[in-house]
Amino acid sequence: MDLWLIGELALTGALVGLMYALVAVGIVLVYKTSGVANFAQGAIAMSGGYATWAIAAFLGLPMWVAIPLALVAMFGFGMLVEHAVLRHMVGQPVIMIIMVTFGIEIFLRGFMPGTFGVAVKRLDLGIPQAPMFLGEMLINRAYLVGGAVSAALILAAIVLFNSRAGIVMRAVSDDQGASWSVGIRVERAIAVAWGLAGATATAAGILWGSVQGIDWSLSLLLMKALAIAILGGLDSIPGVLLAGLIVGVCESLATGVIDPLVGGGTRDIVASVIIVLTLLVRPYGLFGREHIERV
Amino acid sequence: MLLSLNNVEVVYDRVFLAVKSVSIDVGEGGLVALLGANGAGKSTTLKSVSGLLKPERGAVTRGEIAFAGRDLLALDPPERVRAGIAHVLEGRRVFGHLTPEENLLAATTMHGDRAHVKRLMERTFAWFPRLSERARTQAGYLSGGEQQMLAIGRALMTEPKLLLLDEPSLGLAPFLVDEIFDIIRRINKEAGVAVLLVEQNAAAALEVAEVAYVIDNGRVVMNGTAEVVKANPDVEAAYLGGGHSVDFRAVKHYRRRRRWLT
Ligand SMILES: Nc1ncnc2c1ncn2[C@@H]1O[C@H](COP(=O)(O)OP(=O)(O)O)[C@@H](O)[C@H]1O
Ligand SMILES: [Mg+2]
Repeated sequence: MDLWLIGELALTGALVGLMYALVAVGIVLVYKTSGVANFAQGAIAMSGGYATWAIAAFLGLPMWVAIPLALVAMFGFGMLVEHAVLRHMVGQPVIMIIMVTFGIEIFLRGFMPGTFGVAVKRLDLGIPQAPMFLGEMLINRAYLVGGAVSAALILAAIVLFNSRAGIVMRAVSDDQGASWSVGIRVERAIAVAWGLAGATATAAGILWGSVQGIDWSLSLLLMKALAIAILGGLDSIPGVLLAGLIVGVCESLATGVIDPLVGGGTRDIVASVIIVLTLLVRPYGLFGREHIERV
Repeated sequence: MLLSLNNVEVVYDRVFLAVKSVSIDVGEGGLVALLGANGAGKSTTLKSVSGLLKPERGAVTRGEIAFAGRDLLALDPPERVRAGIAHVLEGRRVFGHLTPEENLLAATTMHGDRAHVKRLMERTFAWFPRLSERARTQAGYLSGGEQQMLAIGRALMTEPKLLLLDEPSLGLAPFLVDEIFDIIRRINKEAGVAVLLVEQNAAAALEVAEVAYVIDNGRVVMNGTAEVVKANPDVEAAYLGGGHSVDFRAVKHYRRRRRWLT
């Protein structure tokens, strides 16, 4: 096994991992603001891909117009999910809320292909197909662009969380009653978190759609995103960044190194192994906050 | 009057009557104490003013609450804060995972002007120098006294006309109680913020308040100037004890023995 190949696997894995992490950002945003585990994020990413394709195909708009429109539309969709569903679940047991978000996931998985047809849709962002050479490493340009855009958006999310708007979201997650008492519009903060989850998922759906086309299988990104969110600590965006890189690199190395030995199939178990191991060994993840017990 | 509650009744879960016909007035820049035993309905009364009953499935079912001439009951909690009411909840309730600085910033959503927020921040740190020393630790790790200062400082960031304080001395060492009450007095005198102060530590509250109400079992059973209330033998026996310290068990015992004042 030569080093160039390992390097290629690791670098591609890192880029792919960043693209997974972008899906996980929305899970963390929502969890961090409202304490709700958002199991609909995979299908929201998929729907964002469909929305972009549909806007471009039916309205005959170029990508650079269709993408911002889709981002805005899916921001609205995220807020709608909060308004129409989750706001009414306040005070319900956690398991009920998880089931509801997962129900939305399943619904969208069926609804989108049902509406637009099951054939894979092409989403062409104009990224050249020819791979790029770095030394002897072959790097797919779509992953390069996808990884870079994802990293930039995740960094933007980190900046947001340290701005006043982000502080308000974190305050809401700490104590809703106290948030009301100092004038925070709690419901609006939570709706905005869902809106941002919708928009970031859409960005991820577009990037993944340009790589593998758009069909229901984009929603399987949920598994990777959950693994990353759990490993990163569920409420830490820097955690998402690091966990994304870890999951992506592990998957890629498993595919390149272990698959040839065992005959394939390791890629898809990496995420589940990471979920289980994290929950067993370090349930609050790499960067998750522990509960502060004092007062 | 800045705040007036008129025959307010509060019901939890549609059935449990927690406050029955309470009337309280707080004047512009006034300092009013609301005293009573555990479970008397003090916190509920404050929540009826700040609007924080709703998240607890409580509602004002009768009476009126007016603030600076406006009907408060028509406003939701964030609008009441914008109207000038800040509620420091029982148990301090700081944002434990945020730093003190972030705690203060979280309370400024009503202010658009950054320079103004910065001035308020400096004013708050000047009020509570101890907080600026710990501005970068997570608030959950602050001591009880520091958390209480942070909770009050955070409420002041909203620039209230009226501060509702729910048991600020709860669980604090005596020297800290003095410090907190000193701060309350200064906020009231120097910044001109009216205060409605709920306390079980009646001795300390009656030292700073001008007017006091005593509430028992959801009803106001006595009100008057702090001197008059202090001099009342029942209050003396129930709250002030011999040595000016409150013994809650004694209060309860006393209440069981004799349903005083009702
Ligand atoms: N969220 C709630 N739901 C139901 N009953 C409540 C709730 N909060 C308080 N109560 C009841 O209302 C009464 C008054 O409570 P409270 O206002 O907290 O008293 P205090 O602050 O004087 O100790 C008590 O009997 C208490 O059990
Ligand atoms: Mg109380």
